[in-house]
Amino acid sequence: MSRERVEEVDFAVDEHIWGHRLYDEQLPHLALLEFLGILRAKSTAPLRQDADGRVRYRPSWQITLRALLFNNPNLDAIRLRRDADADKWKAWEESFKKDAGDLAVGGLGHLRETFLSFEDFAKAVALLRSSAYEANSNKRWSSKFVFPYGPDALYEDIRVKADGSASNDRRFFGRTGELLYLMLCRSSRAAELGPLLVSRLFNPTTPLNRLARAMQGQTQPAPNERTSGYLPHTSLPRFDRLAEDWLAILSRDMPAGDAVDHLVVSAGLNLLLYFLERGKAAAGDTDPVEFLCEVVSRDRSKVRALSADSWQSNQAVSLRAVRAFVESAKAAPEWGAALVAADPSAACAGVLRDLFQWPPEEKEIGTAPERLVSLLAEAAEKRHGQHFGKIHSIWSRAVGLSSRRLSRRMRYAPNDRLLKTLVVTVVEGRMEYGEFLREIHRRYGIVVGEAEGSALVRENVVDQEDLSNNRARLESRLLGLGLLRRLSDACSFVENPFWRGAA
Amino acid sequence: MPNETTAGVASPPALTWVRFLRNYGPLSTNGNLFDEHVAKALARAKVRPISLPPPRLAEMEAFFTDGIGGSILVAGTAGDGKTYHCRSLWERLGGASATWAGGVPLKRLPFRGREVVFVKDLSELGETEGDEVLEGLERSAAGDDSVSFVVAANHGQILDRLRTRGRRLGMDSPLRDPIQSAFLDPGSSYPRLGVFDLSRGADRRAMESVIAAVADHPEWERCAGCPLDSADRRCPISENRARMLGREDGGLFVRRLGDIVELSRLNGEHLPVRDLLALAANALLGHPAAREGLMTCADVAGIQHRGDADRASVYRNVFGVNLTKKSLSKYPVFRTLSSFGVGEETANGIDGLLVYGSDDSRLSEAFGRLVASDPLYGASAGFLAAQRRYLEGEEGARDGDGDDSFRDRLSDQRRRLFFTLPGDAGESYPFWGLTSFAHAGEYLALVEAVENRRSVDEKTRSAAVRGLNRVMTGLLLENADKIFVSGGGGASGSRVGSLCETEIPARRTGGVGMAIRADSKTGKPCLDVCVAPGSQPVLLDLTPVRFEFLCRVASGALPGSFSNECLEDLLAFKARLLRQAEAARATPEPEGGEPAEGDGTLGLSFIEINDRDGQGAVRRVSVRVGA
Repeated sequence: MSRERVEEVDFAVDEHIWGHRLYDEQLPHLALLEFLGILRAKSTAPLRQDADGRVRYRPSWQITLRALLFNNPNLDAIRLRRDADADKWKAWEESFKKDAGDLAVGGLGHLRETFLSFEDFAKAVALLRSSAYEANSNKRWSSKFVFPYGPDALYEDIRVKADGSASNDRRFFGRTGELLYLMLCRSSRAAELGPLLVSRLFNPTTPLNRLARAMQGQTQPAPNERTSGYLPHTSLPRFDRLAEDWLAILSRDMPAGDAVDHLVVSAGLNLLLYFLERGKAAAGDTDPVEFLCEVVSRDRSKVRALSADSWQSNQAVSLRAVRAFVESAKAAPEWGAALVAADPSAACAGVLRDLFQWPPEEKEIGTAPERLVSLLAEAAEKRHGQHFGKIHSIWSRAVGLSSRRLSRRMRYAPNDRLLKTLVVTVVEGRMEYGEFLREIHRRYGIVVGEAEGSALVRENVVDQEDLSNNRARLESRLLGLGLLRRLSDACSFVENPFWRGAA
Repeated sequence: MPNETTAGVASPPALTWVRFLRNYGPLSTNGNLFDEHVAKALARAKVRPISLPPPRLAEMEAFFTDGIGGSILVAGTAGDGKTYHCRSLWERLGGASATWAGGVPLKRLPFRGREVVFVKDLSELGETEGDEVLEGLERSAAGDDSVSFVVAANHGQILDRLRTRGRRLGMDSPLRDPIQSAFLDPGSSYPRLGVFDLSRGADRRAMESVIAAVADHPEWERCAGCPLDSADRRCPISENRARMLGREDGGLFVRRLGDIVELSRLNGEHLPVRDLLALAANALLGHPAAREGLMTCADVAGIQHRGDADRASVYRNVFGVNLTKKSLSKYPVFRTLSSFGVGEETANGIDGLLVYGSDDSRLSEAFGRLVASDPLYGASAGFLAAQRRYLEGEEGARDGDGDDSFRDRLSDQRRRLFFTLPGDAGESYPFWGLTSFAHAGEYLALVEAVENRRSVDEKTRSAAVRGLNRVMTGLLLENADKIFVSGGGGASGSRVGSLCETEIPARRTGGVGMAIRADSKTGKPCLDVCVAPGSQPVLLDLTPVRFEFLCRVASGALPGSFSNECLEDLLAFKARLLRQAEAARATPEPEGGEPAEGDGTLGLSFIEINDRDGQGAVRRVSVRVGA
């Protein structure tokens, strides 16, 4: 039993459970941007992987564009001067070149052709900045991203060194977007979804894509091709779910920019579920993943404590998975054979090496087989804690599923943005509220009301009344968001304002 | 002797009647609120019933006498009067009251050569019986005239039954869609199935008729000559009744309460008749010291003796201040009314009047007229004493110990003023300012205007437009004559939107712009925006909550309590407008219009705000983007 080799790692444990790799610091919007960069490169044959289960693509850099937006500190000061237009352009070019160096290929001459005045140019820069991600954060400028208006506004995360040279690094594009791409390639709806994504999101004629293209001037591709990371599973219901959710979002009657926002949340939520589901599977836990959510109320309730417990227990899943996964080696038939080999220590090391790329040759010679397993498990647990182990905590917060609001403990308490995405994704036209709760439980394990939490009520963990109050609070919240219509106390309908055909 | 009171007065003459009435209130065992029990209680108390005309009865009867045949579904929330309507129809079609009182859930009545089957509550039937009824209903709706049905059910119940049965049989009931549409789209109808949705009736008129039926009931004649309400003694029950009847304030109390009921209805809240009855009984009989918060005549002497009649104030009781949190939460009506924040919300002028009114010479005239004129619930001895303690800086006077803090008393006074301030009391004393819907006055005028197809007051329209513009653009614009449909290019959820997709007039002209009108189906006010000629109009129900939000945004404040959800709600509206603008951009200009921009030029419209007058204007920037 030999597994695919994963490059760039000392041993492969997390990678065989989840892939290489999911990366905690790559928040869902960054995963989507990485994904879109691949899609752009593959737009003529979208969502098709290579025969070896990888995808090879050449991203873009668009250094002129991003430098204009994020490494252009003197623009405003120069705009405000009482100088002639030509003088402003001149002064600005000098200052900009000092900051941006020679990375902006093809010079800046095209800008004067594009804009009638320096003032117009400055306005255009401010416009694109206003919707950019984290434009005002203290991230390095080469890790800031313009909103994905279209194919010309996409580029990969890079590092620019002091000497002015640039290279891609994996600080924020940590391959999560690559895995997202592979998941959708492997979903049963890939053939439909790929072209739909391209037509809906890569319309080159949308005004702001044209503006971005004009500011960039000549397109700047990355110097070489990338090969995607590794995704161990060839198919999973979660991949299909993700694809279906995206198909639903893209079919709604809303501006493309809004659809992007919902895709981000949907990707984040499904990736989080993938992470927990695979973790549970590796740990041999067959219970489905559930998120018991408190719909935030001012009064402290039993549900708040339970949602914090629910968070805690999900947080523990992945670490348990790592140990169980390493120890599962001992159940493999090869392991049994190795134990009775002439040199059990070397034979068992060989088995582990096949499974986990560890121990390295020449190392750990003569270590007892049991000890080898526990050494690896310890090392794997330690490494897991650095990034993989933080995924649940960071992503569940990033998608708006968990929060610390009104509480010291982290718990599941969905925010308005997530609720909106759920309604937009799940509801075709209108749907009875109870059915909606059933559906978000079935799809995402979200527990709000007493029907979905009936197991908890049976085990006397919580009163039915607490959960039905929780359910009523969500109802009022959806009403406030304009997403629900109430017929009477016992009957209401969730409505999707973006349903095609809605007046 | 139970009929003896502490003050030694013999059994008050209206005792049994008031006890009977008390059973309609928010008690833990309030049998009278169920049609099934009321007949027995009447017989026991030997009083005349509280009778409310079943508002839809005539239509229901006509369905059978003049209609083309078929069946009736009576839908509504618990407490809407479904059973009452069924029983009345039963009697009207010739059924005997005695048969109705018998316990069987299915009752059959021969009527003009066919049979009418009455089901007064679908939830009483088991699966098999329920299935038979649904099947019969389907047959009847499809044209079978041998048996008709009158079925009463909650909205959720009937839909649920049809759904689970559909699942069992593997096919959807043909009635599910028509019934669901009848619930959700009031305009829709289905020829052989009359859907009477009683939950839609709870409006101002329903509330008025409940108040009248309770306060103007003939049994009150028993009070004549009662020693508890004669000479220098004022009986709080009788006082509350007089105020509800409105003989002194010209019906102001009922009008203001009606306003609140209307606003609730337009906010999508539903107040069942049963709740309105509980409200009326509580308003009359509430007192926090009485058992379960509701007085009988037997409590009155004690209250008079203690001198805390002011805590029986009808203005407090309406909001359930006399009740415990738990019983409050059981009745939607009190939940709904408390969402108006009357008592907590205030206006500076009013608090100034209440705190300093008796001392400050500039306020004393108004204080005398608006507060001191009512020695029972206004400037009562208790209030004046608390006020004095507070002004003298006595320790603890503000928050008080137990029930008697000045703060609580201030809340009571605000509640009273909400119901008693005259409409022309001036800017310092805005009675809507005592609620969380400070702009409700303008809103109600708007409702009246659109219902009567008159145009909306310019000031109101302009506030709504300013609010919309500020939500759209994130800029503090003052423009009231046009709407900037704008975004930031990214997701419309982003708060800034300085890029204008299109400007449209704030008043519909030539098929473009915004109209404020009544929705043709619901009759409720809505915004109807058309972003380009021939494009699909985008509708938004203009509920009191949304209107309040827009007005507050227009005046520069972001209201805390409901702002976030409301903003999200309006951002969805913005997204729908942007989508229409996006679609309109994709359609080529009709002939005679300005030619479309060539491939080489891109026009961007920025909204620029003039710092002096806050007026926004569009500045077009042309960008040569090449082919």
